[in-house]
Amino acid sequence: MEISRRSLIAAGAALPFLRLSARAATTAGNLVFGLSSYPPTFAPWANGGTAAATAKLMFHRGLLGYAADGKLRGELAESWERAEDGAWVFHLRDAVFHNGQPVTSADVAWTLEQVAGEKSTAYLRGECQRIAKIETPDPKTVRLTTKEPMATLPLLVASYFLPILAKGSSDGVTTGVGAGPFKIVGQERGVSIDFEAFDKFYRPGEPKLKSVRMIAYADENARVAALQAGDVDLIEYVPWQSMAAIEADPKLVLQTTEGPFMYLVFNANAKPFGDARVRRAIAHAIRRDEIVKAAFFGRGAGLEGLPVPEGTEFYDAKLAHGFAYDQAKAKSLLAEAGLAGGFSCKLLATAQYGMHKDTASVVQQHLGEIGIAVELVLPDWATRVSLGNKGQYEFAVQGSASDSNDPDGLASLLAGNLSPSYTRSFALDIPQVDQLLAAGRAEFDPAMRRAIYAELQSVYLDQAPLVGLAWRAQGYAMTKAVQGFHNMPGALTFYSGTTFAEISTG
Amino acid sequence: MSFILKRVGAAILMVWVVASIVFLAIRLVPGDPAELLLSQGGVAPDPAAVAELHERLGLDRSLPAQYLLDLGRLATGDLGTSLQDESSVADEIAHRLPRTLELIAAAALFAVLVGIPGGLLAAMRPGGVLDRLGRLLSALGLAVPVFVVGTLLVLVFAQTLRLVPAGGYVPLAQDPLKHFTLLAMPALAIGLGLASSVFRMTRAAVLDVSQRDFVRTARAKGVAPARILIRHVLRNALMPVITVLALNLGTLLGGTVLVEYVFNYPGLSGLLVDAVNARDYPEVQGVVLVISVLFVGLNLAVDLLYAVIDPRVRHA
Repeated sequence: MEISRRSLIAAGAALPFLRLSARAATTAGNLVFGLSSYPPTFAPWANGGTAAATAKLMFHRGLLGYAADGKLRGELAESWERAEDGAWVFHLRDAVFHNGQPVTSADVAWTLEQVAGEKSTAYLRGECQRIAKIETPDPKTVRLTTKEPMATLPLLVASYFLPILAKGSSDGVTTGVGAGPFKIVGQERGVSIDFEAFDKFYRPGEPKLKSVRMIAYADENARVAALQAGDVDLIEYVPWQSMAAIEADPKLVLQTTEGPFMYLVFNANAKPFGDARVRRAIAHAIRRDEIVKAAFFGRGAGLEGLPVPEGTEFYDAKLAHGFAYDQAKAKSLLAEAGLAGGFSCKLLATAQYGMHKDTASVVQQHLGEIGIAVELVLPDWATRVSLGNKGQYEFAVQGSASDSNDPDGLASLLAGNLSPSYTRSFALDIPQVDQLLAAGRAEFDPAMRRAIYAELQSVYLDQAPLVGLAWRAQGYAMTKAVQGFHNMPGALTFYSGTTFAEISTG
Repeated sequence: MSFILKRVGAAILMVWVVASIVFLAIRLVPGDPAELLLSQGGVAPDPAAVAELHERLGLDRSLPAQYLLDLGRLATGDLGTSLQDESSVADEIAHRLPRTLELIAAAALFAVLVGIPGGLLAAMRPGGVLDRLGRLLSALGLAVPVFVVGTLLVLVFAQTLRLVPAGGYVPLAQDPLKHFTLLAMPALAIGLGLASSVFRMTRAAVLDVSQRDFVRTARAKGVAPARILIRHVLRNALMPVITVLALNLGTLLGGTVLVEYVFNYPGLSGLLVDAVNARDYPEVQGVVLVISVLFVGLNLAVDLLYAVIDPRVRHA
């Protein structure tokens, strides 16, 4: 066949009619969501990362949870209180599991036993072992007695790592039977998951959607392109470099919150990082705004104190800027530590994630200005985790979020008496920090708790068990047709999947 | 017969060597699957839970014990289960492999349809406008990385013109039209580079063959120019072109990862990269093994075919 000019023009004219497949994402009652990665596991009580957490919030619920504004609210438990003997009492509502069975106290007791059990690989196993006794006086009541007074127990049972499952429905690896607003109806591993509304969900009128399809987009640019092309309605982990373009697009909406943050951890066995003066010198030598610019395109804020979000009752404006940039002070602290001439060291980060690598580059540059010659070590993420857990590094860049918006949520990053982990400093146990964390957890009086955490912030500034660098904006973006989704505030941003039950489209 | 046995024996040996190297290589790289599985999202894994998972996954055994166990499994054709979610590795590969093969086939089809006629046209008038334009475009096609081509295609056709989806995959049985729409852009992204290679090779080979004596004789005999070009020149010139194309296609079996990422196309390469990142040992071994078996199998088939065609090979 000969290609003539006429046939080429005809082919060009036909192009607009090929639009059929694009823009098919939104149909009323259905939603397509672009995940940042496919959940590596659906094990109900494991920490499978944020994508897994979002997926699990579709089909599981815990005793408590969070409302869109970040306030604690009852989920499977309708109400809860502290009994006179100090036990926490939870009153269950009339909810049913996806298998049609009612949610009872026996299911709650079984779940907590599985999580705390000997063979458990649950993320909250250690925390749940603080529960000494589980009582089920009737099918609708659960009494939890802790080994020591525990003001933070409601936060523990609100965690998305602690969904309540139907008794005997999971061995800790399989998904299990939950009572969330959606049911899984199909999945292709590594590609997509399909959900359908659960018609017996306990919150009247929810879920508003009929179905949700989650598609994994490992590449962040592909995720944004899918939203802009109309393939998906809502995406998570909006890359910082794309936020301006999304804000400028009249068809799209961007929601961000400053929740997760970047920080430095130290190996106290690697000289001279065991010396608090050196850690503090580093803390004062870094201009945080440059990290926010380089790694997050200006979408974040400097973090010059303990990561306590501004606006919460534990925030103290003065203590929050204790590590403000002060090069002279940094140099004098180094001199005090006997290192006036500076020293050479290696900074561990990862080349796999731009935000880690870019943060490390800025730190390297700024420490060079006070005589610390930093060499970057940038393996892939898996290697970086392994080196961190084994303490095979000198100091390292890390990014994380608190477990909740309560300062106790920082315990897993600050406590020195926990097992080694790449998320906290290595071999750096500061007893005062551990004592204050324990005291805060056991204290019920709000004013007393504020005083305890103010002291913790002072000790933090004196000892620098880790050095905060920058809050980063965590973003979700969606088409204007998506109503009811909320990027939950601060550290709870990864709980935003809870609000899928409230979403409506078109 | 002994030739065939020798060849088959060598092929099996080759697969065993690959399996052993992959077994060792993935374990020599730092990073622990159990730690990774329990520490997603930047949180601290509980060492007791890590130890428990090691036991469950069989990672607490010694390396030789794991090796023997693995080899025994592979010998029976069992590729094992993923460390991440205990799904069958063989099933996963059976899911992904046809998609990658389809993508490569579509890219090859494009390359052949564009590259061979293009090369032929260019060679007919060396130095002419078509030739110069073709060489310029093919140089561009070879020089521009595949992810740049892919990103540009997404930017123009999906984001700006909104003619096609930005990426994804739909099974043929579910929606044939959408299936091919989604296949077109990734196939084009790979096919452009491939077509450039085919174009250059065809052009060079046609020019070379055109100078041969038998072509001159054919011309002297008064054979029609079109007949000379198609029956005599192109036929002889295609051998090196097919060799180059086949080599490129073999490399693409595990090498379409960039395109898969840009177009969110769920093929075999993406599975392999994710498995390496998660240090999912059985999955990495399974995918590499299947790719190498395909390679070795293809080579074996070619060897045997040569032997059938040319008796000298059998006795060499």
